[in-house]
Amino acid sequence: MYDETVAVVENRPLTGGHFLLSVHSPRQAQATRPGQFAMVRLLGRSDVLLRRPMSIYDVKPVRPKVGGQRPPLQIIQLLYKIVGRGTRLMAGLMPGDKVGLLAPLGHGFFAEEYLSEAQKADEVLHVAGGIGIAALLLPAKDLARAGIRQRLLFGGRTKDDLVALDEFKPLVSSMTLATENGSRGHRGYVTQPLEAFLERNRNKKYLMMVCGPWPMLDASVKLAAKFGHRCLLSMENRMGCGLGVCLGCCIRVDGTGHGAYQRVCTEGPVFWSEKVIWEKENLPKT
Amino acid sequence: MAKVKSQKSKAENRKSKVETQSPIRVNPKSKITNPKSPKSSVKSADSGFVPRVDTLIAGVHFDNPVLTASGTFGYGREFAHLIDLNLLGGIVVKGISAEPMPGNRPPRIYETESGMLNAIGLQNVGARKFLDEKLPFLRTLSTRCVVNVFGYSTEDYVRAIEILNAGEGIDAYELNISCPNTRCGGMVYGNDPKLTEEVVAAAKRAARFPLFVKLSPNVTDITVLARAAEAAGADALTMVNTFVGMAIDIETRTPRVSNVTAGLSGPAIKPVALRMVYQVARAVKIPIVGIGGIATAEDALEYIIAGARAVQVGTANFYAPETSLRVVEGIREFCRRKLTHLSDLVGSLRVPNGPGS
Repeated sequence: MYDETVAVVENRPLTGGHFLLSVHSPRQAQATRPGQFAMVRLLGRSDVLLRRPMSIYDVKPVRPKVGGQRPPLQIIQLLYKIVGRGTRLMAGLMPGDKVGLLAPLGHGFFAEEYLSEAQKADEVLHVAGGIGIAALLLPAKDLARAGIRQRLLFGGRTKDDLVALDEFKPLVSSMTLATENGSRGHRGYVTQPLEAFLERNRNKKYLMMVCGPWPMLDASVKLAAKFGHRCLLSMENRMGCGLGVCLGCCIRVDGTGHGAYQRVCTEGPVFWSEKVIWEKENLPKT
Repeated sequence: MAKVKSQKSKAENRKSKVETQSPIRVNPKSKITNPKSPKSSVKSADSGFVPRVDTLIAGVHFDNPVLTASGTFGYGREFAHLIDLNLLGGIVVKGISAEPMPGNRPPRIYETESGMLNAIGLQNVGARKFLDEKLPFLRTLSTRCVVNVFGYSTEDYVRAIEILNAGEGIDAYELNISCPNTRCGGMVYGNDPKLTEEVVAAAKRAARFPLFVKLSPNVTDITVLARAAEAAGADALTMVNTFVGMAIDIETRTPRVSNVTAGLSGPAIKPVALRMVYQVARAVKIPIVGIGGIATAEDALEYIIAGARAVQVGTANFYAPETSLRVVEGIREFCRRKLTHLSDLVGSLRVPNGPGS
């Protein structure tokens, strides 16, 4: 983990108030593993104090591969949606602007463990709700390199929330989409086609990787338990520091006393679903 | 990137401290560098004035007046790869209770304008685990280690202190009688002069190390509580803890933090905390450690001029871990520019034609 001041390369607006922020940060890009996150700090403002936690969406070289040589990773990409004061200010960032970036943070998708679990399964199911998609691209690329079969089930409020589809397309065997207003794909929550899919394929074994808002995580965990699949959750929460000291991002986990709460920033952000105690107050509403 | 600078000096200090044990608490280092020395003592011809920024509080010598506040710096190690911990004046560790505490239900924090609300609920590893797992690392630093202690009853406080007394490498205790976020917790003590006296006196009797008492700002007249703590034997005062506040999500009509109310910290509270330090500095004789919204050297200097002999950096550690070291550098630079030692700035407020509280 490095605490750096980095330059914005691009802050590209996408549909539905989403943005793809690219910053130049070779050291942090090269240290990043799938499922890790970054804390973004808006510099020079004393009214917006805290850094904002965001999944690391992708890491890239400055220029694509030329010839046989693989160029070094230098760019960190963060996919975000305007949801409040901090992200509204982020949307105004221009190329050349500086931001504070603490990254990479968290242990990600358990490195070797998730790969071996994925190999044991028939297929990996990525289940994303809204901006939760941002946590799943790097693991999907990693799994694709390892030759793992993958599917994406992705839901949002409207079709404008379904960003990043082009990135996932080459990595997965199929994409199932859902929108609450029916503007694209299944009308309703993504967990409905997920349940239908699991029902149809009762004889198969899946590793589920889920990131999204609380009700979606809750429903996905219940489906994983019902059909007997292992399930990894990438959790989000408000964070004060990202360093493991403020204890502001703790969630309830299986344990007693001091161990009853664990830090999303340090013990997470990825947890095995059976470890998380599923209480309604576990996550703030967003 | 952890830098280990002056391990030796601390090791030597420890040795002499063991020899002199309590009740003598004067750190041998303080004899070499007495901050009360005359202004003109150190001047070099070429580079000019070399200011002294060390400070002495309750017999504990700090190389510089900047400490990291309890609950914002973990147990020190979490920051070891980000800054050189040996350049800090001191580290005040996360509040420790006799037994481990799970803390409050989430959500626990919320950002507000120029500040943040927190209701962590004093989640901590407990005194024994602190001694076994956290203190050994802190011992390797030349930085002073202050252990924040809290409990639900006078007996709890005393029990925690009795366990911690066995710790080698603790320089002082900071008695937390001001946490606003625990059920019938610390703040009950901090609001009542009688209870303050009771718990401070009991803690003082039990403590092997000097006792700082951290005051709550959520009182009508903080000088009353400050005097009560002084009368009961407090060696120094840390002031202040967070201000009780709240925030509401109007869409769901629910509180933003599960505890409903939470402690406000950050730049938003600085003017109020500063006023309290000023008032108390005129009401008590024991040293004051100022805290509340410090993010720059200028902030820290305001507290020092108001009467604080040291300061603590809190919330800023969350978003800018290098803040404390910048504050130290800025204080040194200011003293150089003003040709003054830190000790001459303490309580040096000038009030032209004014009543001054």
